[in-house]
Parts: sequence; C-alpha cells; structure tokens
Amino acid sequence: MSELVTLLVTSVLINNVVLNQFLGMCPFMGVSRKRSSAIGMGVAVMFVIVVAALVTYALYYLVLVPLNLQFMDLITFILVIASLVQLTEMFIKKTSPSLYKSLGVYLPLITTNCVVLNVCLVNISNSYNFAQMLVYSIGTPLGFALVLYIFSTIRERLDIANVPNPLKGNPIALIVAAIMAMAFSGFAGIV
Amino acid sequence: MPVQTIVGAILLFGGLVAVYIFLFLMNKKTPLPPGCENLKADCEGCKDLSCMNNPHHDKRKGGSVV
Repeated sequence: MSELVTLLVTSVLINNVVLNQFLGMCPFMGVSRKRSSAIGMGVAVMFVIVVAALVTYALYYLVLVPLNLQFMDLITFILVIASLVQLTEMFIKKTSPSLYKSLGVYLPLITTNCVVLNVCLVNISNSYNFAQMLVYSIGTPLGFALVLYIFSTIRERLDIANVPNPLKGNPIALIVAAIMAMAFSGFAGIV
Repeated sequence: MPVQTIVGAILLFGGLVAVYIFLFLMNKKTPLPPGCENLKADCEGCKDLSCMNNPHHDKRKGGSVV
C-alpha cells in the first residue's frame, strides 16, 4: 500500500509530467490563460488518460504479447488514443451537452497531447501491475491538472501586473514556469 | 521474422486504422448539441499552424481573430 501512495505522490508532485519531464507543454502554455479553460482541459485530460491507459494496458497484455507483436506498441497506442478521443467526443455529444460545452473544444487537442502517450508507454516499460498502472494513470493527469490550474491563476494575475514590455505574454509565463519547476523540485525531499 | 507475425502486424494495424476511420466518420455525423456550434478554445500559446485551435484558421475563413 505504501508503494502505491509513494507512486501517487511521485507522479503528482515529484516527477510532475509538465515541470519535471517537460511533456504537454502545448496545452500548458496555450490553455492556461483562464482558470475555466485550465479546469476544462485538466478534467478532459484526466478522463482520456485513465481510459486510454486501461485500454492500452489490456490491449498490450491480451493481444500484443500473445501474438508476439510487442514492437507494434507505439503505433497501436497512438491509434487507440486517437480512436478513444473520437469515441469520447461522440459519447459526450450524445449524452451530456453541458459537459460537451465545457470540454468539447479541448478533446481534439488531447489527441496530440504527448502526456497521454507517455502514460501508456511508461505503464508498459516499467512493467506496472494493474494497481500500479491505475495509480500512475490517475496521478500523472492529476499533476498535470494541478500545475495547469496553478499556472492559470498566476497568469490571470500577470495580466493586470506591471510587467516590462519585452517580457509581456509568453516570456514572463515561461519565467513563471521555470520558478514553478524549481519550487516543485523541492517536493523531492518528501519520498 | 515469421510470416504469421508479419500478417498479424498488418491485420492489427489495418484493424486499428479501420476502427479510427469508422469512429472519425461517426463522430463527424453526430450532430452538435444546441449552443455548441461555435465553441472556441482560448488558445494563443504557440505558432503551430497545423493546430486547429490556432486563430490563423479563423482569419483564413474571414472571421475575426480573437
């Protein structure tokens, strides 16, 4: 049990997918101007990652390994993620218009979010068992959503702050991201 | 590499592509919920013109750039 808690804390805070591994930088910079957008993107990524991780994990051990097709993992996972995003979008369109209104615009963006592919590949390469895979697949997007939300609150404040002209916009946002990365590195002492 | 593995790989790849195309077409055919016709992301993060959220696409269609 303590191993799972350690894995959760590590994936959320210490090995944070954005600030430590520099993955998912596109939505991190692009969809962090408003808090509402950041929350929408965070929830959508969390949903897609958990579903994608479950499907790819099952597909790898039930289809690829028995057929000796492990070398096909990358292309299989990419196609599975792309298909899942289409399926998720269609499902949400049909069942929950209000949810689609808040998440729908972010769903196509997730297809190209490398965090999703990273989680699926790490689950396999680290030979996680089912419980570890589930914890890692929940922890990683949780860390992504947490950082995205914190960053969006800071950027909202930066919009009204007195920032020197050459640093306005993305430059000051990148400086903030660097400071956040340094701050998050302090969590390494927890485990 | 055994022939069975190569055939299996081709079948798997073809099957996954077929599933993706099917879901893509189904998704395109599914009508949007009312009020969701003009959803836009507040994204101005990068200059990637291949991204569908880049405001460049609105400019090209004659719409206003947010």
